[in-house]
Amino acid sequence: MKAHSSSLSNPAGISRQKKESVITGIWLATALVAVITIILILGFLLKEGLPALLEIGLREFLFEEIWTPTSVVPSYGILSLIVGTLLVTFGAMVIAVPLGIGSAIFIAEIAPRSVREAIKPAIELLAGIPSVVYGFFGLVVLTNWLRITFDLSSGATWLAGSIILGIMALPTIVSVSEDAITSVPQEYRAASLALGATRWQTITGVIIPAALSGITAAVILGMGRAIGETMAVLMVTGNAAVIPDPIWNILSPVRTLTATLGIEMGEVAIGSTHYHALFAVALVLLLIALIINLSATVILGRIRDAQMGTGKPPLLSHEVRGKVKTACSWLAFALPAVILAVISGPGGALLFIGAIGAYLFIKRIISPKITEKIAFGLITAATGLVLFTLFVIIFDIVSNGLPAITWEFLTEGPRDLGRSGGIFPAIVGTIYLVIGAIAIALPIGVGAAIYLNEYTIEGKLTKIIRTGNDLLNGTPSIVFGLFGFAFLVIFVGLGVSLLAGQITLALMVLPTIIRTSEEALKSVPDSLRHGSLALGATRWQTISRVVLPAAAPGILTGTILSIGRAAGETAPLLFTAVVFSKRFLPDSVFEPVMALPYHLFILATNVPGAETQKYGTALVLLVLVTGIYAVAVLMRRHAQKTVRW
Amino acid sequence: MTDSVSNPRFPRIYCVGAAVLLLAVTLFVSGCVGNNSHEERRTISVIGSTTVLPVGQAGADAYMDIHRYDEILVSGGGSGGGIKAVGEGTADIGMASRDISANEKQQYPTLVEHIVAVDGIALIVHPSNPVTTLTMDEVKAIYKGEITNWKDLGGNDRSIVPVGRDSASGTREFFYEVVMHKEEFVRTQQELNSNGAVKQTVAQTPDAIGYVGLGYLDTTVATVTINVNGKPVVPTIENIKDASYPIARGLNMYTQGQPSGLVKDYLDFLMSADGQRIVAEQGFVPVK
Repeated sequence: MKAHSSSLSNPAGISRQKKESVITGIWLATALVAVITIILILGFLLKEGLPALLEIGLREFLFEEIWTPTSVVPSYGILSLIVGTLLVTFGAMVIAVPLGIGSAIFIAEIAPRSVREAIKPAIELLAGIPSVVYGFFGLVVLTNWLRITFDLSSGATWLAGSIILGIMALPTIVSVSEDAITSVPQEYRAASLALGATRWQTITGVIIPAALSGITAAVILGMGRAIGETMAVLMVTGNAAVIPDPIWNILSPVRTLTATLGIEMGEVAIGSTHYHALFAVALVLLLIALIINLSATVILGRIRDAQMGTGKPPLLSHEVRGKVKTACSWLAFALPAVILAVISGPGGALLFIGAIGAYLFIKRIISPKITEKIAFGLITAATGLVLFTLFVIIFDIVSNGLPAITWEFLTEGPRDLGRSGGIFPAIVGTIYLVIGAIAIALPIGVGAAIYLNEYTIEGKLTKIIRTGNDLLNGTPSIVFGLFGFAFLVIFVGLGVSLLAGQITLALMVLPTIIRTSEEALKSVPDSLRHGSLALGATRWQTISRVVLPAAAPGILTGTILSIGRAAGETAPLLFTAVVFSKRFLPDSVFEPVMALPYHLFILATNVPGAETQKYGTALVLLVLVTGIYAVAVLMRRHAQKTVRW
Repeated sequence: MTDSVSNPRFPRIYCVGAAVLLLAVTLFVSGCVGNNSHEERRTISVIGSTTVLPVGQAGADAYMDIHRYDEILVSGGGSGGGIKAVGEGTADIGMASRDISANEKQQYPTLVEHIVAVDGIALIVHPSNPVTTLTMDEVKAIYKGEITNWKDLGGNDRSIVPVGRDSASGTREFFYEVVMHKEEFVRTQQELNSNGAVKQTVAQTPDAIGYVGLGYLDTTVATVTINVNGKPVVPTIENIKDASYPIARGLNMYTQGQPSGLVKDYLDFLMSADGQRIVAEQGFVPVK
């Protein structure tokens, strides 16, 4: 490439055009990465899972309840696993959606600037707590608390799983919804307030509907996180492969599809029916994620159409929609009532119904001003609850981890299985893994977003790319781990190595980066582009000099979430990149590394007598992630201060 | 539009910043450690069962302390993963807490087995549980779901929470054969994926019973004595060695053919007096 050709003053039209088409080609290629990956994953799962399906029979596999693959007469029915997965995810959403959206509204609309600046990074920090830590916290603190509170024989239940998953899905939902709410133009608020609406009426009547597509995206992302979580779930749900009896008994143990993969994949004899059956389980898991994501995409599209007013007839007529709304609100009532009845007997349910009745009665007689006060109070309480949860978890880690932190712990290799010595190679390994993953995923992800938002109009191709991205986003991390092992480690021949881990992690965070980058690009007003193009800049010049800088804060948010996820994940690394201990740091990307989450996982589950080191490792991991977050938050703040339009 | 948007240096600042950070981290790292010698560096990898991992890792540490330029990479991944890795040649040694299956034997006929230690499996209950002795039949009945209340065993009137390992665990497979005689576990059994998780659950659940390797016994849980023909037997190294304790199995390392080079040196070290002392220190039973 000639050095001159990038300059605006170069009049050579042909080379400019050529350059533009090369750039378009590059971005198209990056946009296709997600699609190719998901096809590879699906194809690979089919190839490995099919032998089991043929042997067991599809009907028996899906609708038989009993999963005993290692018995003398093995049974491979996964119905109870499917039901467990759906129930736990549903419970997590019941907890995370109201709390998450409430917190997002609080941060974006209610909190004073200084409070907002403090809370936002705090909640993002929640995303940086590795799932192993959540799992360990759940196993040690939460299940015990549930057991004592509800006088159970064991606290390892559906409820425990849903609470942990709900907490894990929260930061995603808060962060993305908050971005969506903040990006609603100020004029909307001003207009609504000028018409005499209260702030609460403005929020519910104007801002939330305007931000609905972003909020829906947030919920989908959160759901993707919940349904794909492995490490934390398998430590708190009891893993008994039974369907709760009755089905709404949230105090029954359950087992999810991911937990089954996480706990059985490592020990299974390769090539056996059980081995192939596990790939079939992964396939079913992926298909469930696929169905959820596709239906969410359809819903999102409908909402967008409705907002744009494309003239298409709505999916449901006005009356039907009214009926659905009524049914939904009845359901929203009945569900907590039933749950309360299960937990605390009919008294709790009656109390709840009474409270709702009282609320409806009061709502008729009180002024919008008071409604606003109550609503703001509830939202503040929701945010408080989220922050309190964060505080409890962090307090637990810090107070138990601090005694382990010594100079030796931070600068030496582990000795005696990590019971003494330090974790220096694990710190370095984690940094290498995350830097590598982001270095691979960021250009590809931003490139894909640029292609989708800047270079092409909506059509068949973009639809395929978007669907591929949605599916990849819903793909559970344990499936990435299986794929990374079979494809990168074995097929490509990378071996268990730093590079295999970096690529696996990169593929895992890619959809998050694409989605958030796209949202960020979308929020850049077209007037900026038109201005630049009108001045004679090429498309690429416009994008690189005008659009990208303006979208940088949003892209950074996505990157922050991705870093948090990549640094804390264990499941994708298990078979691709990590060893338990390593004396020398890696010389090349083809050597395996130590990683903090894996080190923590082994210490927590396989090394007796490493209490302090375990918490010390968790603390270091947390501080490391916080450090990355702090840098990113500062960068974003700087960008927000300097970019205005 | 303010000047910063039209200023092309804006994103470059971040790129430069990131590059500097990356460089700094790399320099810091290489400066701190510095792999100062590359002469004669031999490396082998040991992959597999997380139950065998403590023995493999502690042995590797001790070996590497004597031989500074040899590196032994130990990692988990499970018995199946270990056997596959050594069979496919992606690892030099595969660790397994179970014997190689007929299927695997057929797939990788050249694998050679080395038993480096024996692991006794102890039954544990909460320290507050008055029941401290069980027969093998009673244990089986509990895990089959035939006895569901501690009062039937002379304990409190509380329902029993059986805690076991996941259905692919080598430990569970062994338990299934020796204790259950291949009869089915009760379906409400809680299944956890590691010894540590089982111990943790039993330690905080007053009505639970679980089984773990000897290395996991401590004061947070109570060890159940097994009543063998009217004689109570405690799971100790002596009792496992003389075979009076009924639940014990070998911990295996598999190699591709007869070992040579560092693989041989490492295995020889594990079987030496020093190596077997390390086995005992990790809570397992030496084979010599």
